[in-house]
Amino acid sequence: MSAQKWQATGELLGEFQALGRASLAYDVQDSHSGNMAVRRTTERGEDEIVITATGSQKGALEPNQICFLSATETDYGYYKASSETDIHARILELPGVRASMHAHVKDLVLATLDDEPKPARPPDFVPVDPLAFHHLGSAIPVDWFAVPSGSPELARVIPERLAGHPLTIIFGHGAMAKGRNLREAFFRLCVGNNAGTVVRAMERLRIDVGAVRRAVTADPGSSFAGAPPPYEIEGDDRSDFREEEEILKEFVKAGHRIFESRLSPFHTGSMSVRGVDSMLYAPKASMPRDVGGPLLRVALSAGPADDSETALHKAIYATSDFQTVMHCHIPEAEASAHFVYPGEAAPADRIIPVDAEGTFLYLVIPVLPPNVRTDELVRFLHDYKVAVVRGGGVWAVGGQSLSEVLHHPSSVREICLYRIGAVERGLDLRRLEPQKAKRW
Amino acid sequence: MPEFPISGYHGRVLVADLSRGEVRTLPLDPGLALDYLGGRGMATRVLYDTIDPACDPLGPDNAFVIAASPLIGSNAPTAGRGHMVFKSPLTGVLGTSNSGGTWGAAFKAAGFDVLVVKGAAATPVMIDISPGKAEILPADHVWGKTTHETNDVLAAVSEPGNPARVLCIGPAGENLVRFAAVANDRNRVYGRCGPGAVWGSKKLKAVRVRGKEKIAVADMEKYRSGLDQALYLMKQAPVTKRLLRDLGTAGLVELINLIAMLPHKNFQDCLHRDEDVERISGETLAKTLLEKAGSCYLCPIGCQRHTRVAGRDGREERGEGPEYETMVLMGPLCGIYDLGAITRANYRANELGLDTMSYGGTVACAMELAERGLIGREEAGGLDLAFGSGEALESLAVMTARREGLGAALAEGSYRLAAGRGHPEYAMTVKKLEIPAYDPRASYTQALGYMTSPSGACHLRGGYAVSLAFFGGAREIPRFSLLQSPIAIRNMQNVGILQDSLGVCRFTGYAFSSDPWARMVGGITGRDFSVARLEEIENRVATLERQFNIEAGVTAEDDVLPARFADVPIVVEGKERRVSREDQERMKQDYYRVRGWDAAGRPTPGLVRSLQIEESKR
Repeated sequence: MSAQKWQATGELLGEFQALGRASLAYDVQDSHSGNMAVRRTTERGEDEIVITATGSQKGALEPNQICFLSATETDYGYYKASSETDIHARILELPGVRASMHAHVKDLVLATLDDEPKPARPPDFVPVDPLAFHHLGSAIPVDWFAVPSGSPELARVIPERLAGHPLTIIFGHGAMAKGRNLREAFFRLCVGNNAGTVVRAMERLRIDVGAVRRAVTADPGSSFAGAPPPYEIEGDDRSDFREEEEILKEFVKAGHRIFESRLSPFHTGSMSVRGVDSMLYAPKASMPRDVGGPLLRVALSAGPADDSETALHKAIYATSDFQTVMHCHIPEAEASAHFVYPGEAAPADRIIPVDAEGTFLYLVIPVLPPNVRTDELVRFLHDYKVAVVRGGGVWAVGGQSLSEVLHHPSSVREICLYRIGAVERGLDLRRLEPQKAKRW
Repeated sequence: MPEFPISGYHGRVLVADLSRGEVRTLPLDPGLALDYLGGRGMATRVLYDTIDPACDPLGPDNAFVIAASPLIGSNAPTAGRGHMVFKSPLTGVLGTSNSGGTWGAAFKAAGFDVLVVKGAAATPVMIDISPGKAEILPADHVWGKTTHETNDVLAAVSEPGNPARVLCIGPAGENLVRFAAVANDRNRVYGRCGPGAVWGSKKLKAVRVRGKEKIAVADMEKYRSGLDQALYLMKQAPVTKRLLRDLGTAGLVELINLIAMLPHKNFQDCLHRDEDVERISGETLAKTLLEKAGSCYLCPIGCQRHTRVAGRDGREERGEGPEYETMVLMGPLCGIYDLGAITRANYRANELGLDTMSYGGTVACAMELAERGLIGREEAGGLDLAFGSGEALESLAVMTARREGLGAALAEGSYRLAAGRGHPEYAMTVKKLEIPAYDPRASYTQALGYMTSPSGACHLRGGYAVSLAFFGGAREIPRFSLLQSPIAIRNMQNVGILQDSLGVCRFTGYAFSSDPWARMVGGITGRDFSVARLEEIENRVATLERQFNIEAGVTAEDDVLPARFADVPIVVEGKERRVSREDQERMKQDYYRVRGWDAAGRPTPGLVRSLQIEESKR
């Protein structure tokens, strides 16, 4: 055993610390819960597992709380490593898997709780939001365990589940995710929790989640606005516009806010500032402190290699004078887009603020169908600056700055939270909404 | 005349031909209302259809046009402003000037949407307008009088509940000072670009209006929703609810100094002693000279400063101001921090009918020329022209308005003053219009705004970028972004076009942008004036203004800052800042492209077609 083996330094420590803090900021851990592990190849060409210590505070990891395990040399770290080490070790044996993470994704856990007698296997979780549907699959396994933490049963079942799924849910406890790196595993946990938040918000709005699930399952193509781009694990450090110091700072600030205010799960959403020929573009807009994401300079002209997200930014700019565009996946907005007023059959085509600030800032927030045409979306953005696409996230535009455009999704989340809370309290939204907004 | 098909308009254009001595009322083309809205947009279109942009701006072929908007006559906040366009005798390009006060609203209440005045009278005249009646009357009895005197004489016909409102020139306009202003309500002025000289060249002393005609509102609920939102946001934003009321626009003095943008000694630097700046701050003005705040028509902001000051003879004088631009351009730009001297010079300029901004810039230029030995003391009539001379500032106002002594040279504006001495580089102008009180080296966006403004260096027509650099709140933009500046300034210019075309105050922009206006104008007219449609109008007006200027002889070579701003740096937050020629060129070309103009800054035929800008009907 050598001293440096359990005194992690530099980049590796930084990554554990940054993602540990991020998981606390995103409220998917309690003070001491969760664990993270990576598999890496040592300088001697041997495989090694690096994992957080049991009982360590993930929001404040110390160098000696990063434990190193190897097949040939087990060090002191083994005895303080996570109680879930055996599970992680088996997950990390899966082909292509270099990282795993466990978190207390409370909204997802809540959305999968049931009061059926146990032991029994709960039904799979069917996400109704586009992020989870596309990134985690149309059905996410849920398993009940007699000893739902660190048990041999977990060590057997969880890796089996993750062999076929990016993420699996431990009934009443949390979730485990695999990844090609730690960020991807964290990304999946955040997307999973977001899916739980959407369902929970729907339940609070008294939306028939079962009906929505049936519709999604029957025809996902009509339920979602196209697939989001796949998660890229390369290029997070890329910055194409370091000389634009002021704009760079704005991107970083906005990215932090999107993540910390839960306007979009980790490394989802996108934002851009337009130049004449190019746009400055963050394809992973939701960026915690010390993690970051790619900051690209992209030609404004449409290209065959553009993913759907990039293409929509370009299309908005091509037909408008806007300077900034932002796209976020706000779970409360996604849920609100499915809200059906009592006595009506179809979801409403607008979200009407019932709070004072929202009422004056936005008479209505339009809700557009998943398959809305780009020109229609741009038309609504011209008139309303922000629009919710059912099954497609929240799009917003600004005439001048990133800060300006950030305000829109941030306001939309608040507006939705007030409406959800009002329904939860049994209040009649129709009576709370300004009369004039109903006719618009 | 048949009823106009769009609510918010009277459907009447008043055309006065001073050469013929006749006044006619013509029907307003509904297409003009839908395509150009009103105010600046509509007036520019009418001017383009009326005059040859290559005409002599001081000849009878020039005209001026004032247009109201559909909002004027409603109770929309600040919706009482007027907008005047003409060919500028100072710049030789489009003259476009805006004023608060009450005249704009009174003109609309007289039953007209547009006033066109062309030709020239042989002797002094005025135009008298009231519902169903407009006539040209002799004005010999007020010729030679100050703006205040003229206003008081002509407004004496007011009746209870039916006040007469007067728009007039002072001696500066009569004497064709190239930056002469047109005043209303004594101290509210159409200042920039020299409209007063155009009036003077036509021997037009005043336009008096009276009336009580109302406008209809097609969709009150829609209108109210925009109005409610606008009022709410104005009550919320610190600048509109507090700063401007407490401190007036001069409240910006300390703040602009804080961001190293307050110009000094003809833009030689931005260095001031803090105690000097404090002497001319809005706070000091409020504590010393302010009697009360005042408001323009329907304005909840109340930025007017009604002040009093000890005259040079010891007697108390009363007047308005100084506003921020006046305070700085007549103050630190001339090396002067004497609040009394600036205020008195401001009073004189208003009475005589001078644009205080161009006057301040021209005096600063003269002071630099004197410092460099290019104006001697003898030529200055014994006046001490050193930077810091408050006496010179006050005295030269009278000399300039009367074209006496050195004043005759100053009356030509700073560009002609400096060029006449072989050194145009000491004139801090763009297209011969004096630069406002924000140093362009401290904001690329503002720099580009000055370069591309349709009227020369104007912060209001060129885009009020500084408002976003400091008070933008969520809309705050980077100050030194080459990438963002072209689109940022295009968007700011467009918001300005909208505000000028609606007849509302630029300061509303501190609280909100286009959205509430779209609902208000849509509610009044009952027509689709969505934000997208308004943007289309903004782009149409911007390109039409450029087209006018191209036909007036403007080229891309004119869209540049004076060499000083490329060659001499100032220090902003510890960094040397200048706007190099390369950066100017890059931003300018990018700006042309976002406007859809070619590399020479000319609107392309395809753009003109897509914006449906018809050829001039002249």
